[in-house]
Amino acid sequence: MISLSDISPRSGAWITPQIVVFTVMLLTAPFWLSAVGLYQYLGIEVAIWMIYALGFNLLFGYAGLHSFGHGAYIGVGAYAFGLFQHHVAVSLWGGLLAAIVAAGIAGLLVGALVSHRRGVYFALLTIAWGQVFWFSAIKLHGITGGEDGLLNIPRPPLDLGFARIDLNDNEALYYFAAGALLLTVILLWRIAHAPFGRILQAVRQSETRAAFVGYEVWHFKWAAFVASALLAGLAGGLFAMAQQSAYPDIMSLHQSGLIVMMVLIGGGLVSFWGPVLGVILYFVARDVLGIMTETWLLWYGLMFVVMVMFRPEGIAGALHLVRKRFSSRDGAASSARVEPI
Amino acid sequence: MSTLVPHLFNGLILGLLFALIALGFTLIVGVMEVINLAHGSLFALGAYFALTIIGVGWFDDTAFGQWWLSLPVTPRYTLGLVFGSLLAGLIGMLLELCLRPTHGKAPLYGLLLTFGAALVIEETIRVVWGTGEQSLPLPDAINGAVLLGGMIFAKYKLFAAAFAVVAIGAVWLFLERTPYGAIIKAGAHDSEMVRALGYDLSKLRMLVFGFGSALAGLAGIVMVPIWGMRPHLGVDVVIPAFLIIVLGGVGSFWGAVIAAILVGLAVGLTGAYAPAWAMMSMYILLIAVVTFRARGLFGRKSVLEQ
Amino acid sequence: MSRNTLSRRSFFTTSGALIAGASFAGPFTVNRAFAEDKPIMIGLTSDASGQYANSGASDRRGMLMAIDEFNANGGVLGRKIETIHIDTETTPATGSRVAERMISREKCGFLVGAVSSGVANAISQVAQKYGVIYLNTNSSSPSESGENCHRVKFVWDGNGTNFAKAAVRNSINQFGNKWLLLTNDYVWGHDTSAATRKLVEEYGGEIIDEILVPQGTRDFSAALLSIQGAKPDVVAAAVGGDDQKALRQQVAQLGMGESPAWINNQQDWPDVYGLPLDNLFGVFGTTWYYKLDLPGVAEFVQRYQAAYPDTSMRVPGNVFYNGYMATRELLGAIERAGTTNNIAVIKQLEGLKMSAKDRMQTYDAYINPDTHQVQQTIYLATANTGTEDKDDMFKILTASSPDEVLDTAADSACKLESYEDTPTFDA
Repeated sequence: MISLSDISPRSGAWITPQIVVFTVMLLTAPFWLSAVGLYQYLGIEVAIWMIYALGFNLLFGYAGLHSFGHGAYIGVGAYAFGLFQHHVAVSLWGGLLAAIVAAGIAGLLVGALVSHRRGVYFALLTIAWGQVFWFSAIKLHGITGGEDGLLNIPRPPLDLGFARIDLNDNEALYYFAAGALLLTVILLWRIAHAPFGRILQAVRQSETRAAFVGYEVWHFKWAAFVASALLAGLAGGLFAMAQQSAYPDIMSLHQSGLIVMMVLIGGGLVSFWGPVLGVILYFVARDVLGIMTETWLLWYGLMFVVMVMFRPEGIAGALHLVRKRFSSRDGAASSARVEPI
Repeated sequence: MSTLVPHLFNGLILGLLFALIALGFTLIVGVMEVINLAHGSLFALGAYFALTIIGVGWFDDTAFGQWWLSLPVTPRYTLGLVFGSLLAGLIGMLLELCLRPTHGKAPLYGLLLTFGAALVIEETIRVVWGTGEQSLPLPDAINGAVLLGGMIFAKYKLFAAAFAVVAIGAVWLFLERTPYGAIIKAGAHDSEMVRALGYDLSKLRMLVFGFGSALAGLAGIVMVPIWGMRPHLGVDVVIPAFLIIVLGGVGSFWGAVIAAILVGLAVGLTGAYAPAWAMMSMYILLIAVVTFRARGLFGRKSVLEQ
Repeated sequence: MSRNTLSRRSFFTTSGALIAGASFAGPFTVNRAFAEDKPIMIGLTSDASGQYANSGASDRRGMLMAIDEFNANGGVLGRKIETIHIDTETTPATGSRVAERMISREKCGFLVGAVSSGVANAISQVAQKYGVIYLNTNSSSPSESGENCHRVKFVWDGNGTNFAKAAVRNSINQFGNKWLLLTNDYVWGHDTSAATRKLVEEYGGEIIDEILVPQGTRDFSAALLSIQGAKPDVVAAAVGGDDQKALRQQVAQLGMGESPAWINNQQDWPDVYGLPLDNLFGVFGTTWYYKLDLPGVAEFVQRYQAAYPDTSMRVPGNVFYNGYMATRELLGAIERAGTTNNIAVIKQLEGLKMSAKDRMQTYDAYINPDTHQVQQTIYLATANTGTEDKDDMFKILTASSPDEVLDTAADSACKLESYEDTPTFDA
């Protein structure tokens, strides 16, 4: 099975052509979304989830740590944003900062406790922690509004000093989210190709070897955990703005499992862009198929199961293989296959 | 504190029922070293199969259906109990077949696959049987209330606890006293050797998976009159099951039983003082145990720690 | 390197093409093709899964029957009414997303339907943002017309306070003044129990304990054991949906239905239909019953049975009734306003008076213009043990007029947005 280190190019350029294409598609979206039968709010959701998924993949794909309870951090981010608006000040940057910091702290604390573990124990601990956060969000209804959620979260305007942009319109918020997404993409692209990213992959391939080479393995696992939690927090803050409310639902095991499925199906295990593809597929399936049939989630789940059985490389991996088959020129450089561990 | 005793009793009953749930789970984990996250969905599936067998809602229109429904509840329930679990076991075997492509790889793929399978099974239940709450018809002998020490208890709970005790005993007898059980235990200990001795390992694995799933289905049929019956019932089951086997130690039979009783007591007691937090006590317990003593109380090192 | 770049680019073009293709591929449930006039789009936001799936289905049937009747008479203002239904899954987050989609993509001018107050709040927040009128047909948390009221939202069900007022004073006199509250741990449960608590204390009773049960609870053994231990005179239960079914089953199993006395606030018909009669213990409230001895009721039941011959629920109940009434009045309001302009329709609904005959209830009803809640007759009932008819489960005890059960706290808690602050448009 191919892995992340195979597909990614050697270059550490800040802006690659892929990023340019992605940017263009993102920025022109409001113009072609309705033409393909989608709508602006969905665009916002997709952008937010891409941030969430890309950050999650740092942990899942790069570090090889399968967290099934990641909904906790996007949830914490959403609640933190809302609570900031209600109790501190109506402020965009303040709220987002609060969201990121709160989720980061949660990731820091939980990460400290789980990063010593790996494999199945790690996975199940993350499930347990995810459930603890979910339960707490429901029970502490004095703070979080419980099952009915935190309502009436305003969309603070974007104050750039020289201009004040109202984000109440879905299109404006979309552009803001898209901007955040682009920054995330560039940041993560750098991280993935920095030594840090390489070390994470080394940890994934073999913790023992990485330790022998001299790295304090659990520090890196912890760092990856916190990084993914920080990005989930950003996504959560944006989501609270989009929905103008925050609910515990996103922390549930079901939702945490969905992000795992999205990322794997998209090809997060083998490609930086896998999570992006996975998010697009999920949301389109949900909105297009979900209207036609109530069983769409069943088909999605079946697709996931079949992929895990035969093609864990996901869509990105499959596309890569298709591409390779059509380019019959020397396949030396980037197609070296790595044996599964 | 006379108010404590009924809650303790309640917790004990819950613990015995948890033990029944964890039985199938620990068998699969101990022998196959796969965490079956679909265990909860198989638990639910067994109950839904039993519902159909007992005859609720399906073939009311046919002559056979009319005759079937005219029979008293007890034989229908018994058949439902038996065949519902067997059908769940069959689905378990199917799941094992699906797991085969993931055998050579890291155990995480098995986890991911069973997680996906759980979702698929739950959605299938939702599509086939509907999302509403259903209830299993029960024979009158085990339905109703009984007075114990001045407090009212449901007869059914006592039946369920007794059933759990019998089932645990039966499984133990099977594993310890029959040649098949010996093969299963040997397979857990050293699968290479078992294969060298001429046993078909893949058939063995499939049968164990089926057996474990059938136990899950059986537990489901017994539990739903207490826990209610809806498609997403499984979610509430897997985590306690995993908690119990980690607490008791992966692969340890009696460890699982004792751990189950402890967990049941914990949930029952928090139910007395802080009912809203009762379910969460399980998660907190899991976190505490795995963080500080990953092998639980009786466990041995297993490939799960890789 | 350049080869990789090309391959990545082609990923995107391929994926883009796939997405576009997939989006065009499917036929949508809404047919927008052929109307001489633009049809009126109504979004049905009822739950089709989750705790309130059964009630959601009943709610929707009520809405659809009203819409079919209007369409058979040429629609509203000469325009056909079309509907789209998306499952809100008894989850507020889904409700929020569904509302956004219905308004921005499906161009729904009106949204109808709710059973869970959590979902209703989520939907009404979104609806208010766009100015879309939203009818909360069946969710009965007192805060719906209190602090969570909105200019675009209209509440058609009696709320927890109304039912509590009907039940509490009589029950203290009849059963005793030591009360215990059993509360579903979410908005409706909390608000209803809070209302009950206030009333009990007002009439000289005492709340000895409150037990919270999370939504989705099936095992009430701990709660029931605590109740056995506390020995109250009355238990006031604010437990809804599937949880209530489980509670009823277990209380019946334990034989606890007679003592203590149970007050169950509002009892939704889909939650008890088909249950054995001994599960229907205690006193409970409803806004309507299919065997009321009032003009129009029998014929209404017949219309239901003709429209829905295949459902297992052979007679309609309050959920269906509320869904029907709300939709019917909305369409009537649009006709009277002569336009689909939302502000004009809102003004038609505020202060609307509906006669008892029209409502098939004992007393006249009206919409409170300050809280947007329908003030209607509240009935108290108990199990009907005197008949062989399996459907005839309720025995109506009393009927209270709207003024007797007025939710006086709502007027001060509710702050409707002004007309100016509500976006205006023509649907």
